[in-house]
Order: sequence, then structure tokens, then C-alpha cells
Amino acid sequence: MWFITTAVTAAERDKAQTLTPLDVPFAAPDFALKGEDDKTYRLADYRGKVVVLNFWATWCPPCRYEMPSMERAHQKTIGEDIAILAVNVGEDETTVFAFTGQYPVSFPLPLDRDGSVIAKYPVIGLPTTFIIDPRGNVTHRAIGGREWDDDRLLGQLRKLLKP
Amino acid sequence: MPPLCVCFRAVTALLFTAASANAAVTIGTDEEARLPYWEIVESGVSIRLVQRLPDQTRGFFQARGFSVEDSEVIAQSCVFQTVFKNISAAPTPSTIEYNLREWVVHAAGARRGLKTREDWEKEWTTRRAPPPARLAFEWSLLPTRQSYRSGDYNWGMSMFNLKPGDVFDLDVVWHQDGNKRTVTLKRVRCAPDIHLKPGDL
Repeated sequence: MWFITTAVTAAERDKAQTLTPLDVPFAAPDFALKGEDDKTYRLADYRGKVVVLNFWATWCPPCRYEMPSMERAHQKTIGEDIAILAVNVGEDETTVFAFTGQYPVSFPLPLDRDGSVIAKYPVIGLPTTFIIDPRGNVTHRAIGGREWDDDRLLGQLRKLLKP
Repeated sequence: MPPLCVCFRAVTALLFTAASANAAVTIGTDEEARLPYWEIVESGVSIRLVQRLPDQTRGFFQARGFSVEDSEVIAQSCVFQTVFKNISAAPTPSTIEYNLREWVVHAAGARRGLKTREDWEKEWTTRRAPPPARLAFEWSLLPTRQSYRSGDYNWGMSMFNLKPGDVFDLDVVWHQDGNKRTVTLKRVRCAPDIHLKPGDL
């Protein structure tokens, strides 16, 4: 029992899933990180897409809770210009690989081993997620977990694809 | 049945009105952790502090790269898991802000503050804790300051710099749409330093 856990209740799932628009959008700092699959992921390569940039750790309960909904969102948006990058903070390939045994996901999990990428973003607590528009600007953020496959939330992401 | 179990199971949810009007304070047993919690629920806000056993904390931080000695320092610091949520929603969304430096611990006739990320960082520099452990530590703690919009929340450890088993009152302070709110949690108890065996909880 490393961490205290509380299940996401049905009531919480039913709540409106909100993304907060930033008062002042900013250019997303670029990065290149190796994933647990040993591929290199560079943020700039996703220009032209909406990017859901999530910062997380395996030991963080709300990070774990939102992973399955992130995978469902990923499956729902296949063929659309929406990408999910879930950047793990401070852990190694073995730890993240073991995690994916319990929480299988098919989107990239880049590893920010030394915390140098999260330091470029205004993150205060995990999980925090930024939404990056197709021009590379951070336009929304969510502090804490969300139900990412919620249709209203996906609607907010799809709206960013329209010029 | 160990006395601890009797204690945990005897803690049934109590509901009473705190010093602050409209704030409900609940004391009970966290369903998953099976440890005592103290919770404030008020319009737009919920804040829950759940005890963490020192042994849980030792294990967690040793697994993140801290030495036995350093993890012992953390484990002996009265650690709670804290869940702070902005539960406001349309049509009356709120902005909730807090700064842990405004929270006051009343213990043994004295007032003190929490031990924050920044306080600990100085200590880890002095103690030369390894960088990966420090990184995990930083992100494990409840942020010192935070601003939540509707639906936002954090989970994190808060550390009260008291001994296992100590009892204290806590002034919990936040700002809702610019208005300062304070609720005092009474007789909050740091988890005792016990070593559980399988099946104890």
C-alpha cells in the first residue's frame, strides 16, 4: 500500500469534464524525449495536430485513474489530428513498462527522467495536462485527472482543429 | 484483533458544523486506505486529509531512492495524504486558491506552519539526497500554492513536522473568488508508528 487510493466514483465520472482556457496562451516549449518503447518523441513533430500533453507518474493515484480514459479517448480519435503524449516524470523504462502491464495504453509515454521538460511548463502538481493547438500554442490546461473520453471534453479538443 | 483495528473500525463518520458557518467537517475512515480522515466540504470546495502510516511513508520513499536515514526523517514528520478539490461547477464556477504558508498548526500550546516543498528542498541539499529521489519527493507533496478552476484538484502529501501519534488543530485557509475562508479541524491525529501485519487493517 504505497499510496492511499480512492476509486473514481460514478458521481465524479458524471461531472462535467472541464478544460480551463488559458487567459494568455503561450508557445509550447519543444522537447525530444525517449519513450519506454525506446523511440524518440519530439513535440515539434506534432505541429498541425491538437496535442494532449499530460505529465504523470506511476505512483500518483489520479494519474493512474485517468489513464484508461485517455486510452479510450485515443481509440475514439484515431484518424483525427489529435495526439496524446503522456510524459512520465522521474521514472525509468522498467517502472513504466511494468505499469503498462496493468494499464495498457497505445499512445506514447515519453520519459522525462531528470525533470528537465516538466520544468519548462507551468506545472505545480501531478497530473497536469496541457492542450496544444495545431499552431503549437498551449491554449487550455487541466489540473488533476479527467475523464478524457467524455464527449464534451472531446468536443473541446475537436473545436481546436477548426481554423 | 489488534487494538489498532478496534480503533479504526470504531471511527464512524461523524458530521458536525465547524467554527466556520456552512462548512461541514466529517471525520471517518477512508474506504480504501482504511485509515482515519478529516474532511471539509463547503460550497465549491472539498479538502480531505487522510492519515499515512510512517511505515507506508518509509516504504514509498525508499522505493524512490531515499536512504533509510532520509526516509526515516520523512516518516517521522506526521504525513497526511491530502486531496484538495475545486468542486464548483456551472452556473456558479469558482476560482479557489490556497497557500500552505497561511495554514496554522496548533499543537502543545504553540503555533507553527507546515513543512513545505521549499523547506524540504533546503534539507535535501544539506543531506545530499540523490536527484531522482528529490524529484519524486517534490511531486509527491501537495503544492505549496495552487489555483484551481472548476474541476481541478490535487492529491499530495502534507507534512506537519510533528511526531507519530501527536494531536493538533489545523486552520485550513483558502481563497474563493478572492474571499478568504478559514475552517479549523479539531484534534487531528498523526498516524502512530506501528508495523502492520497482513490482515491487520
